[in-house]
Amino acid sequence: MRHISFIIGQLARNSRHGWTSQVMTLFTVSLSVLIFSFFFLIYVNMQKASSRLGNELRLIVYLEQEVPAAFEQEFKKKITNFDKVDKIVFISREEAFARLSKQLGHDSDVLEDLDPSFLPYSVEIFPSNNLKSLTRIKEFSDYLASLPGAVKVQYGQEWIERFGYFISLLRIIVILSGTLLILTSVFMVSYTIRLTLESRQEELEILRFLGATDRYIRGPVIVEGFLLGLFGACSGLLSLFFLFQWIKNHFSGPGFMNIFELSFLPMANIGTIFVISLLLCSSGSVISIRKYLKV
Amino acid sequence: MTSDTASPLNTALFDIVKVTKTYPPDIMALDEVSLSVGHGEMVFLTGVSGAGKTTLLKLLCFLEKPTMGLIEMNKKDISKLSGHDLQKMRQQIGVAYQDFRLLNKQTVYQNIALAMEVRYENPKDIKLRVMELLANLGLADKIHTPTGKLSRGEQQRVSIARACANKPPLILADEPTGNLDPAATALVMNLFNRLNEEGTTIIIATHDQSIWKKSTHRIVNLENGQLQDIIQVNFGL
Repeated sequence: MRHISFIIGQLARNSRHGWTSQVMTLFTVSLSVLIFSFFFLIYVNMQKASSRLGNELRLIVYLEQEVPAAFEQEFKKKITNFDKVDKIVFISREEAFARLSKQLGHDSDVLEDLDPSFLPYSVEIFPSNNLKSLTRIKEFSDYLASLPGAVKVQYGQEWIERFGYFISLLRIIVILSGTLLILTSVFMVSYTIRLTLESRQEELEILRFLGATDRYIRGPVIVEGFLLGLFGACSGLLSLFFLFQWIKNHFSGPGFMNIFELSFLPMANIGTIFVISLLLCSSGSVISIRKYLKV
Repeated sequence: MTSDTASPLNTALFDIVKVTKTYPPDIMALDEVSLSVGHGEMVFLTGVSGAGKTTLLKLLCFLEKPTMGLIEMNKKDISKLSGHDLQKMRQQIGVAYQDFRLLNKQTVYQNIALAMEVRYENPKDIKLRVMELLANLGLADKIHTPTGKLSRGEQQRVSIARACANKPPLILADEPTGNLDPAATALVMNLFNRLNEEGTTIIIATHDQSIWKKSTHRIVNLENGQLQDIIQVNFGL
């Protein structure tokens, strides 16, 4: 308990002497946490959206002619030869016509004089989860196109591909911003601690002559790094939360953003960011101590 | 020339055996000095400026290492001490430096308390001890003054108070009265005498004859880095 009160006393003394560099470091750590967690938040939301879209994904195979009921099972078997699927639905021309009419809504009267025969027969395939990756869907699509009687396969591939690439790009950004967080936190904290130690050289020398132990001298320095990590992560994540609330309030509602159903980072991710920040900043202190503090 | 002086009192607290200290390029600060000081002794180390008094004290408080020779403290070779052992040994020695080595932005209280804080002493005990020392040295009214704002004489007394704060078994004082008037000198010597009576070993390096002339304690003289002779030995018993 007495050790803790001495550490607190020394921390307070250090803060009085070097509060400007400490504030700057705190700001930098917060900013790094904010940048990283911001991209991570977008990534997490995109992943969720991707998963949601994946659940609604279906491939439509347009056929030259209707598959007779007797051959439906055989056709299904050919499809499932590639991989398991959730559901296969055969769509007649009449059913396709009814769906189109429904989609047109008030404008469905344009179809009044048309015969359903202008629409092709088709099969709707709802892929299972193991078929959700972009590469697998493409392979599956190519396989379906090679089936006898298949004219064309459609699944909004251009859009899905773009979305997939966007997620890949986000993943890279998250990795890069994570690296930025690591580099800036370790560098800034070790630099600040170094400045503190340099400004306290005289005091440290006297402490050594007085017989101060390693623990007495190093303890407050490590705690300082730990606290910079703690407060840096706190303010970075709080800023992200307020930014998130602002975006949610201003951009939610009907429209493009609505498909994402924005949600904040899960507690597990928040905890991980905290732990990483604490570890990085404490490491920064340890690096400085090893380099500049020979007890 | 080598001079050996044996401790007149019981067992030796430290033994200095044929210690030589040279500084580059070839300045001989101490030349084969041998000295033994017993527990509870008070020894005056005299000599003119540059005689090697400060160097000898620096060797005793681990600020420097001898070029040759052996220094043993409680039968332990201090040149082999490192890490935790060295830190513990340093806590056993109170040093009043000639250049004071105070933290000028910190108050008198903080400077003195530091010596006890590094030993994680009870804050209440620290407060009582600091107040007591300041009263003994006539500095009670300066307790919250930053040491940078004190006169040199006052700074010197703060340095002495810090050296005595832990009641260490050994106190080394380098010219402790160099900046003091006779009244302050008397306060300091009273404190040293009281601590010595309580069993503390005290080595005082000085060229101030007024503090050792009428003393009953051992006086050794350094000249050109050599321990010349014992000017006066009076056990006061």
